[in-house]
Amino acid sequence: MPISTKIHQRVRQLHIRQALLWLFAVTTLHAPVLAQEFDFAHRIVPILQKKCGECHAGKEKQGGYSINTRESTIEGGDSEKKILAKPIEESELIRRILSDNPDEQMPPEGERLSKEEVATLKEWLSLGAPWEPGYSFGAEEYAPPLKPRRPNLPPASDPTRTHPIDRFLDSYRADLKLPILPTIDDAAFVRRVYLDIIGLLPTPSEVTNYVKNPEPDKREKLVRELLNRNMDYAEHWLTFWNDLLRNDYSGTGFITGGRRQISGWLYNALVTNQPYDSMVRELIAPPTEESAGFGMGIRWRGTVSAGQTVEIQFAQNLGQSFLGINLKCASCHDSFTDRWKLTDSYGLAAIYANETLQIHRCDKPIGKEAKAAWLFPELGNIDAALPQKERLKQLADLMTHPDNGRFTRTMANRVWHRLMGHGIVHPTDAMETKPWNEDLLDFLGIEFSERKYDLKELIFLIATSDAYRTQVERIQERESQVEYRYAGPQAKRMTAEQFVDAVWQLTGAAPKAIDAPVSRGLPNDPANKEVGALQGNWIWAESATQPGGPAAGEKVVFRKKFSIQGEVTRSSGVITCDNSYILWINGNKVGEDGNWENIELFEPSKFLVQGENEIVALGGNGGNGPNPAALYIEMLVETEKGISRVATSTEWEVATGTPDNQGKLSGDQVKWRPATEAAGPWGGRLNGELQQSLSRGLSVGNKMARASLMKGDFLMRSLGRPNRDQVVTVRPTELTQLEAMDLSNGQTLADWLKQGGVLWHSLVQKAKADGKDEKQVIGQLYLQALCRLPTDAEWAAIDELVGQEIEAVEMEDILWAIVMLPEFQYVR
Amino acid sequence: MLSHFEPEHGAPKGEVRRDFLKKLAAASAAAWMASEPTRLFALPDGAKILNPQAKADSIIVLWMGGGMGAPDTFDPKRYEPFEVGKEVASVLSTFPAIQTNVDPIQISQGLENIAQVMDRATLVRSHVQPDLGSILHSRHQYHWHTGYVPPQTVACPHIGSWIARVLGPNNPVIPPFINIGQRLEGVGEQEELKAFTTAGFFGSEYGPMNLPYPEEAAVSVRPPKGMELSRFQNRHKFFKKLVDSNPNRDQMSDFQRDSMIRSIDGAYRLLESKERDAFDISLEPKESYDKYDTGRFGRGCLLARRLVEAGARYVEVTTEYVPFLHWDTHADGHTTLERMKKEIDRPIAQLILDLEASGLLNRTLVILASEFSRDMLMEGQPGSDAADQAEKVDRLMEMKHYGLHRHFTGGSSIVMWGGGVKKGFLYGKTAPERPCIAIENPLNVTDLHATLMHAMGISPKTVFEIEQRPFYVTEDGKGQPRMELFA
Repeated sequence: MPISTKIHQRVRQLHIRQALLWLFAVTTLHAPVLAQEFDFAHRIVPILQKKCGECHAGKEKQGGYSINTRESTIEGGDSEKKILAKPIEESELIRRILSDNPDEQMPPEGERLSKEEVATLKEWLSLGAPWEPGYSFGAEEYAPPLKPRRPNLPPASDPTRTHPIDRFLDSYRADLKLPILPTIDDAAFVRRVYLDIIGLLPTPSEVTNYVKNPEPDKREKLVRELLNRNMDYAEHWLTFWNDLLRNDYSGTGFITGGRRQISGWLYNALVTNQPYDSMVRELIAPPTEESAGFGMGIRWRGTVSAGQTVEIQFAQNLGQSFLGINLKCASCHDSFTDRWKLTDSYGLAAIYANETLQIHRCDKPIGKEAKAAWLFPELGNIDAALPQKERLKQLADLMTHPDNGRFTRTMANRVWHRLMGHGIVHPTDAMETKPWNEDLLDFLGIEFSERKYDLKELIFLIATSDAYRTQVERIQERESQVEYRYAGPQAKRMTAEQFVDAVWQLTGAAPKAIDAPVSRGLPNDPANKEVGALQGNWIWAESATQPGGPAAGEKVVFRKKFSIQGEVTRSSGVITCDNSYILWINGNKVGEDGNWENIELFEPSKFLVQGENEIVALGGNGGNGPNPAALYIEMLVETEKGISRVATSTEWEVATGTPDNQGKLSGDQVKWRPATEAAGPWGGRLNGELQQSLSRGLSVGNKMARASLMKGDFLMRSLGRPNRDQVVTVRPTELTQLEAMDLSNGQTLADWLKQGGVLWHSLVQKAKADGKDEKQVIGQLYLQALCRLPTDAEWAAIDELVGQEIEAVEMEDILWAIVMLPEFQYVR
Repeated sequence: MLSHFEPEHGAPKGEVRRDFLKKLAAASAAAWMASEPTRLFALPDGAKILNPQAKADSIIVLWMGGGMGAPDTFDPKRYEPFEVGKEVASVLSTFPAIQTNVDPIQISQGLENIAQVMDRATLVRSHVQPDLGSILHSRHQYHWHTGYVPPQTVACPHIGSWIARVLGPNNPVIPPFINIGQRLEGVGEQEELKAFTTAGFFGSEYGPMNLPYPEEAAVSVRPPKGMELSRFQNRHKFFKKLVDSNPNRDQMSDFQRDSMIRSIDGAYRLLESKERDAFDISLEPKESYDKYDTGRFGRGCLLARRLVEAGARYVEVTTEYVPFLHWDTHADGHTTLERMKKEIDRPIAQLILDLEASGLLNRTLVILASEFSRDMLMEGQPGSDAADQAEKVDRLMEMKHYGLHRHFTGGSSIVMWGGGVKKGFLYGKTAPERPCIAIENPLNVTDLHATLMHAMGISPKTVFEIEQRPFYVTEDGKGQPRMELFA
């Protein structure tokens, strides 16, 4: 809030107080003024406000001195010099006011206090500085409400603008006499909503289908359809969550085992759309190790400062991520800028602590032990006597308590920020500050909880408003000090991941494998009904029936021939072996592993050919003596003719020997014989997971790897992907020169674009061969990248660049120029 | 003394304190609004932050990553040659001392060229590090390069980024923070290295330009591989046309579009400028090139010199930190150091002589440092519970036992040249016998940074507000420049 507004509020508040005081004043007799009769409001407030307030009132606390309350005023700030001294001339306040020393005098610049004013202050101090009870110069500091609230929905300004968000915004606009903003066209809307919900560019046909669709509810349908693209949604929002929960696939701390990922858990939570309250409960009080990494923080080898122990990190991260509260100040000392105190941070930290936690102020113990406590005792508290696990459960319940409106508002505000470009509270980690529209934020918060903390429903709610499809606000200057007024969504710079994904979409340069230790796809995807129950058997050689099982170290070669008719559309394969395997399809090595509890998912399609195929596996038993051994493989291959299945069974053949590196077993001695079904504990333990993996594999199919699933490389870091050592919820909003250099001559992007140039050039050649206009291909590129065709002026520039014949390098240069356009790099 | 101070960089001279206070208030509000670090021009007590007059315009940090043992380099102690069966405890140095051109300063054998430029140097033998318990190189390196011991609640900027943020570039086309010789991929502790090789909360604009291979530096300011300059320029022209004819330009926010295009144009300006030749060490005359060419570090020194000549602000050249390699001697320390000294001795001396000859040394601070020292016996420092990380033997049985194989944080050496520091000056002292801790004028990282910043004309109390917290260039603004080091 600008300071001028603050002062206005103060003045208004004061008028009310003055009126009350006036009633008292008329009844007082003219007698020596007693302390309780001193007219503080009339005589002192204006002086302090005018001469001291700018540096010592409200949030301002120069020299540690604040006049907010009587206590702070007479305490005298950091110098601890006496304000209430006797004789009164020795009061530090009076001394400074009268001083001519430029380093000491108060106020340091501007008009000094008049003789009368000094006399008034002296009189006031000599009476012991009487104060209006409850009055504070910082009183109008915004204090966010704790409880959720359902605000009254304003009437619709227009029968076509009935969406509740628009009703709030229209009423806000009417109050401020702001115009209703123009709506963007369908194509621009499609690009925006794709990038916002699934983080991908729409294909030209997706754009066209939407533009041509005459249905009145096509907008809602598209938003719903995108939210239902579970994998795409999860793999886009993963970036937001990894930032928020400080999770990454590489980074500091892993090297010494001081940190744990929650990647698998998080992916599953997003792909299954786990309700937010349930996610947070599992992060705070982890039911399994899978979600424990968030609370654990990063443990550095060696000693760390008291403000960065894992317990304090827990408090800080919890406060920031889930409540938008900054406890970093209060981890070291009572915060100077908000209500949080050292004991608050330590209270939260002590919930997590397994041992007694000594409170440290600025890294020095103060001789007090922290007591487990929750920030908002109005909602209940923690029983510090319970063991840690139980305390964390209590904390999880308090955090997700239905009356904790701050919990829902914080997330609602984050989602609003992601979709609309500017938070209702901004920045989104500053939830102690006043929203520009409390009703709207309260509405979103309560809707979020009433929609069962369903994140997709929250997104749906926002993305189907008219507000979401209005033109972006034109900002003339960088974030200014003028109070924010909503004037439409703001353009969002693509995240590093969005940019990289978009470039991969345009160039086909995405890597083949992902870095994140997650199983992509939706477990038990209903779209994969055909997976059904597993149909394979656990098999081995005859030795499987020996008492105690096959010998340790025994190696068996397995094979099976099968045929594929038609082009493969989707495929999925799973394999596991007790104890180890190497797998080949048609002489190509597919993979290997040595841990019998691991299930590997593979994508068979790239190894398969039409007609006859052969799968070969080398299985190896482990252990020191005879012990059970078995192999399990199941593959689903979908072609236009239907689904065929290849699974281990006694129809497979086994032999003994060592295959070459193409899986070939040669020599006269090789004798192929039928495989034997093996009995063992594997099925009970692994069948469920095998089936899920198989289904997931089918969902993933040949879907592009996503940048959110890759380790942060130089390009992504350069484009603002944070080192996730701390919770970071804001990405840089502008392109810097070093980034521009990476984009202009960095090898990574150059290589991708080169690949893209070749790809698009092949389309040019195909068009040519088909007797079509080659330039249409460039039109397609524009449609894919920007959701529109080039204008005449752009065609002229393109014509000038390509000349007569379109070369691959020219397509590469056009690609570069397009991805460098502000129009491309912003989600508008 | 007021004449020694000049107003804030970027603040008009006439500004009075009250304006700074106003700015402070407004700046806090703006920082809060924008969630970006905002520079504060006054301390919380209202005192204006005064910057000293800069003594140097550029700084070159010669980084001996991995822990350079002072007793075998710049602080020779009792020398014991290798002998089978000799008691390890009897050895302090594994090289004899040599005389420098400053009486009575002696340094370690193998640094004969540097010995001849010690008359231009200030040698500090009392640099000390905090005891962080268990030793992790990258953690001490983080501390040395940011002034803060990790972990921290915010991502701390590298001192190169501080300088880039506060001073900006010397020459607008040369990035102000250039980092030579350290690979950040494919080496151990790479994530920990990345954690401080960054502008942190300042944002990537102030981050390092990383040039791990000096001989390939030219590539990073050239068009991508396989692209002719003409095509590269043509592509940029085409881009500008598309920008100018963009039908949606009116819908874009001006500042977003303009700042993006400004950055792209800036990048092109460097990539097309004559200064980019500074990155190309192959353009160096052969005679001079050969003097530097002792290896990657030597070539890095040459690159640093060329960049500073072209107007670089902060350049760091490292012998490269790779766990257990180079200065990080866990075995065979003596043999390894013979090689390390060969690698650094000639190019460092040449760098000083060349900068002196071109007159740049006066305005360039060159500083050689390392994250800590080493010792044959002592891990950490007296009283530390740091665990031993090297093979422990009581007697030298094989050559591989001969060397300083333990990490010592109680006293290390720094050498500084130029940038207003004294010449031929020795400062600080370590104990003559084990534990060889600093016993005179200990200089910690915070005060060392204050000293470097002082030379660069930056107050050690320089402060930005980030996430409601004042964040200072030296830890909590407490750094005190060691004025005795300046001439």
